Amino acid sequence: MTNTWCQCCPAEGTIELRGAILYNESVENTDWSDVAASVRGDDEAYGRLVRRYEKPITGLLWRFTRDPVQCEELVQQVFVEAYFSLKTYRGDAPLLHWLRKIATRTGYRFWREKAKDLQETSLPEFDILEEIEAVEEDRIDPAEAATVLHALLSRLPPDDRLVLTLMYFEECGTKEIAERVGWTRAKVKTQALRARRKMKEIAEREHLLEKLGWTL
Amino acid sequence: MDALEGLEKLARKACEEPMPVFGVVEAVRLRIQSEIPESVTLIPLGLFGGLSALAASVTMALAVQFWSYMTSPVMELVAPLPEIRLW
Repeated sequence: MTNTWCQCCPAEGTIELRGAILYNESVENTDWSDVAASVRGDDEAYGRLVRRYEKPITGLLWRFTRDPVQCEELVQQVFVEAYFSLKTYRGDAPLLHWLRKIATRTGYRFWREKAKDLQETSLPEFDILEEIEAVEEDRIDPAEAATVLHALLSRLPPDDRLVLTLMYFEECGTKEIAERVGWTRAKVKTQALRARRKMKEIAEREHLLEKLGWTL
Repeated sequence: MDALEGLEKLARKACEEPMPVFGVVEAVRLRIQSEIPESVTLIPLGLFGGLSALAASVTMALAVQFWSYMTSPVMELVAPLPEIRLW
């Protein structure tokens, strides 16, 4: 996966864009050609990229907000931002990884902006925790599980919430979280430890297990 | 069961949740088009620059010409000599 390219002598299997950006074989062929065409201003090519990666990006941003309108807005923001940053994409990782990084930062920004607003303590999410019904561990509805988890996570500050969201929902390790967020691995580990402790306190305060009937 | 174990179990279940599908291609295209700055044509700017340069050159040429008529520019400034033809 090493990207050994330079601007004066393109390595084998590389594509030159605007005389400066080169892509190597670590990137999917279809992505290569579409990225190259998009940088040259081909709308159709960028449309194909959006269609190809819309689903995983939506899935990721659904972890940042469960409001479909806000989520769609964030997905659009990610692809618009990616379009204008496409020239800086060097192809040393698959395009999806690069898009996920942009999406994670977009979602994090969204949380921080919302955290400034005092009205963020949205009542429906608090009500969700009140309305939890006992259900067998294996029979809980995935959407309900996600809603409860989202409501619990929303009580954490954005940094803690981000680490746990990526750990729980995206099943990311510390290395991947560090890459996506741009923190050091040490910071991610410390943050995760603190966040888990806080999360445990919240779950205990809310009597989560008792409400779910999972105490046995 | 520990609270954290319960949370992890919830998370595993949450990962099975079906995701919404939006279809944002058209909206993204429209937003990109609205955010691309309109390219400024450089012809009027170039024309204006050219005309300014021409005017500056003519002024400079006339100034040098008048300068050569003057014996002492400082004195001319204070008290212009009557024998110099102005036109």
